[in-house]
Amino acid sequence: MDLLPQLLVNGIVQGTLLAIPAIGFTAIFAVLRFPNFAVASHATIGAFAGYAANVWLGLPAAPALVAAFLVAGLIGVLSDEVALRPLRPHGALTTAIASIALTIVLENVVRLIFGNDLRGYDLPIVRDWRWLGVRIGPQQVQNLAMALAIMAAVFATLRYTRIGKAMRAVADNPALAELKGIDPVTIGRITVFAGMGLVGAGGMLLGLGTSIDPLTGFRFILPIFAAAVVGGLGSIPGAALGAMVVGIGEELSLLVLSPAYKSAVGFVAIVLVLAFRPRGILGERAY
Amino acid sequence: MTYYMNRRLFLGTSAAALAAPAILRAQSGPIVLGTLTPLTGVGGTYGPAMRDAMLGVVSDVNAAGGVLGREVRVVSEDTQTSPEAAVRAARKLIDVDGVAAIMGTWASSVTTAVAPLCWESQTMLMCVSGADSITELPHGGYIARTQPNSKLQIRVAGEFMVEESATSMAWIGPQTPFAASSIEILEEIAAGAGGGMESLIYEADKSTYRSEVDQILRGNPDFVMLGGYAADSTVLLRDIWQAGYEGRIIGPAYAVNASVVETLPVEVLEGVFTWEGAPAVESAAYADVQRILGVEDVDPYSAQTYDHMSLAILAMAAAGEATGAAIRDTLRTVSQGQGEVVESAVAGLAALGEAVDYQGASGPCDFDEIGDITGTQFVFKRIEGGAPSVYKRV
Repeated sequence: MDLLPQLLVNGIVQGTLLAIPAIGFTAIFAVLRFPNFAVASHATIGAFAGYAANVWLGLPAAPALVAAFLVAGLIGVLSDEVALRPLRPHGALTTAIASIALTIVLENVVRLIFGNDLRGYDLPIVRDWRWLGVRIGPQQVQNLAMALAIMAAVFATLRYTRIGKAMRAVADNPALAELKGIDPVTIGRITVFAGMGLVGAGGMLLGLGTSIDPLTGFRFILPIFAAAVVGGLGSIPGAALGAMVVGIGEELSLLVLSPAYKSAVGFVAIVLVLAFRPRGILGERAY
Repeated sequence: MTYYMNRRLFLGTSAAALAAPAILRAQSGPIVLGTLTPLTGVGGTYGPAMRDAMLGVVSDVNAAGGVLGREVRVVSEDTQTSPEAAVRAARKLIDVDGVAAIMGTWASSVTTAVAPLCWESQTMLMCVSGADSITELPHGGYIARTQPNSKLQIRVAGEFMVEESATSMAWIGPQTPFAASSIEILEEIAAGAGGGMESLIYEADKSTYRSEVDQILRGNPDFVMLGGYAADSTVLLRDIWQAGYEGRIIGPAYAVNASVVETLPVEVLEGVFTWEGAPAVESAAYADVQRILGVEDVDPYSAQTYDHMSLAILAMAAAGEATGAAIRDTLRTVSQGQGEVVESAVAGLAALGEAVDYQGASGPCDFDEIGDITGTQFVFKRIEGGAPSVYKRV
């Protein structure tokens, strides 16, 4: 049990980082009504765009994060226009399956450009701080701060801007929103841009402390999906909450389970929520 | 399923059709041997030299008069480091070229895919792959490998840790076919040395192992062994360093490889040990490979394929027959025992009136009953200033 405080700290950090792509995933679901599994490749694209900005252009982490957001968002809109939007009238399942195909294609494009090798960000590495027997790294604290700033920006946008309000309106009732003069196609594009941008930024944040390769995003698809389902698919605060549940749950599971079964926490969380509260902790209201 | 049936049928008929001419061919004309190395793909850095080492052996043997009065002809194919491509190439070697042996498969997945084709057609397969499972296949003696299997590799590294006066060891790695046996072997070694041993099996492909590292470091180990591959070792090494660990670390050379050394900051890797099977650098056979390839540092795999070709030729000469079955039956007669020590195919052919014991560029080349190598040499390296340098050979 002496590990408990340390595991909690690790879990909170991991959960906060996970919240960013989970918010992006759930936002796209809220507006476009299908689970977009292409988040896996967009997390990878964000991580590599951030890498290019950081290592090739020599930018520090925060501006590189902006690059990750913009590149992933842009590619998200383009690939959605080409591959997913034409399929949306055929139903959520068709589009979801197409998004899996899309993610495989995009992942291999990344592989074509960057190769299979591991790459690390050009950031100074420092030993962790220790305090009361609990350790935390300066890089982790910085990542945590950036993740919290992004989340604050997301909630502010949704609450106070016209675009945010329009997105919530489309999520709540697309027909009514259209009657009010909100163009669902434009709002869909904006949502995909912002959602995939968040996923890309999240991919970079998750990769910052480690190293990245073309499979980076794919490794997070289960916890991202689990976070969104646990919080309530389509609910943005729910995704943040779900990410904390999954992040902390994965770390605390080490107290009772072999680390080899860490991913099982995500599955178990999905099963429990679907069995006892299918709408997720916060329900499916977008905001 | 239908596809499978058709393919089998096709294979069966083509094998039957080819069997008769193969027997006829065996009596005259050149002896045909196949090389199947990764000329492209992930193993592409090794494959060309592996093939050239074998071609060098054959050109020496032909210059000295061939084998059994016949010339040796080599057909070289590319595995592309892909099991599918390797299977196509192996079929061509077996069915079209009628080779007696296929030598030089590198990736374990490739060797595993090609192996059934070989034993079904009574073609000898010599590989440089390490997975324990390969020699456990029902190959009937048609597989021999010069690469130590993972159990031997772990044992050697465990003994190294004890010699380096480790008192409390730890093993941390992902769930792999050799994770459990690695832990078992290290526990046995640690118990024999009166030291402690902790282990932790984690889930592969995670972006961080902070909690796992916290858990394994609680036992205050003074020597940690990494059991994973390059991707997770990069993450682990960074996490272990950030946790303030001051003890020693060792990882297999394929996990702490050049790309890991390039990715990680210099200070994280300082003092990390790696180990791998090493060529017998002092041997005459090694000098022969240096001459053939025209390089100073021969990689372990080219040294091994030099031995594959030499052993296959000597086994056929000793058996008096140029077939896969003959190589299988006489491989151990020429590779081990009390005979005269020979270090090249040409020297062995000259000495073959009497018993010979081939000792090669990769080591003594002695095989156990399932085709695993015994008594390989290993090299331990220590990373200093971002570059590995030789620390010890055993």
